Amino acid sequence: MTMIIVDIADMRISDNPDETLITYSLGSCLGVAVYDPALHLGGLLHCMLPLSKVDKEKAKNRPFMFVDTGMQSMLTEMYACGMRKNRAVVNVAGGSQVLDNQNIFKIGERNFTVLRKILWKNGLLMQNQDVGGNKSRTVSLNIKTGRFSIKSSGKVVHYELS
Amino acid sequence: MSYREHIEQHIDSFPEMPPLCQNLLGYLDDPDVDFKTIKDIIQFDPGLTANILRMANSVHFGAARQVNSLQTALARLGTKSVFELILSLNVSSRLQGSLPGYGLQANDLLRHSIWTAVASQELANILTMKHTGMIFTTGLLHDLGLLLLDPYLKTERTQFNRTLETQDKSFDQAERDILGMDHAEAGAIILKRWHLGPEIVAGVRWHHQPEEALEYQELIYLIHLADMLSLSEGIGTGIYGLQFTVSSKTITTLGLRKKHLEAAASTTLDKMRELETILT
Repeated sequence: MTMIIVDIADMRISDNPDETLITYSLGSCLGVAVYDPALHLGGLLHCMLPLSKVDKEKAKNRPFMFVDTGMQSMLTEMYACGMRKNRAVVNVAGGSQVLDNQNIFKIGERNFTVLRKILWKNGLLMQNQDVGGNKSRTVSLNIKTGRFSIKSSGKVVHYELS
Repeated sequence: MSYREHIEQHIDSFPEMPPLCQNLLGYLDDPDVDFKTIKDIIQFDPGLTANILRMANSVHFGAARQVNSLQTALARLGTKSVFELILSLNVSSRLQGSLPGYGLQANDLLRHSIWTAVASQELANILTMKHTGMIFTTGLLHDLGLLLLDPYLKTERTQFNRTLETQDKSFDQAERDILGMDHAEAGAIILKRWHLGPEIVAGVRWHHQPEEALEYQELIYLIHLADMLSLSEGIGTGIYGLQFTVSSKTITTLGLRKKHLEAAASTTLDKMRELETILT
């Protein structure tokens, strides 16, 4: 099994059943995994900020930094690879935040709000989500089985395709 | 003997500041020192000179035109920035190791430190704060105390795990409760011994409790905020995850708005990556 690391503000797609996509240390960032079981095609996005309007120039060079441009680019690429909307399985983790009673650090919550809007607009449903709190998470997507795994505080939870 | 007394004894065996930096530190506040004197101190080390030039040409330190010689780097960037470059190059090797007590892998602490250093400067620019002193150095060194406390975290792992499970307090508070000292204080004690000046020492000392500081509030709040942003983005987070508290006076002290944080985060990532390749 080859582990393909998805860096912060990046995205990877694979249809190689020997590969697992993994992204480490999600804080307020979101890890979004999209999988088409019929094609064994999976994508994993590690996006850090909600909206690209904060830095449009940056969004051109690094679309995966932002939830809006990142999701749009990932879905476009996956549809180009043959993914069908009615087969797509979406899993999400991340969106944590530091302890903040002034609510200036709601980046994680805003990331998730924007993601839900984009999924709704695209007619996609989330199968599993583990979002919020103040823990760091590592997530992976097994391309052969579509299994989505979340590791946090030394514990691993697996989500199999239903 | 209490943990605090143990730690204080352990500090005696912590390495001194690199000798080259000690030499340069003596010239930092000397208005009469010329660039040639400083160049003479540095240039005996060709590897260092090459790295200084790489740093000087990085986006963060931002020389307007390509810098090809040490003397030009000194003239363009000034003595203070060159000192920051050299200290960064020297200290980075100490921040690269893994810290099993805190659950940090190799390079995690260095990455977190560079992110915090760059983000504090970016936030200062966005908030148009001009007199922020050696903010990059302060950001780079803010978690130096982790090196000192790491063995004790391992010994008291059960107690720390309990705090993390109940999530009832900030992790630095847990350090103070369990060890009698947090990593911010430990770092400040080391830097005081390095004679790095009251501003840097205060920035490190109060980066988790900025409201306790009597001086240098702007610098301290910027380091605090940059550290929180770094943790929030998941850069070099250990067993503590994001379990740290944002000071309730951050918004009013810095005149901060949400968009400032996102703007700083978006510009910090690429600069951090460039410096990381130079410093590792």
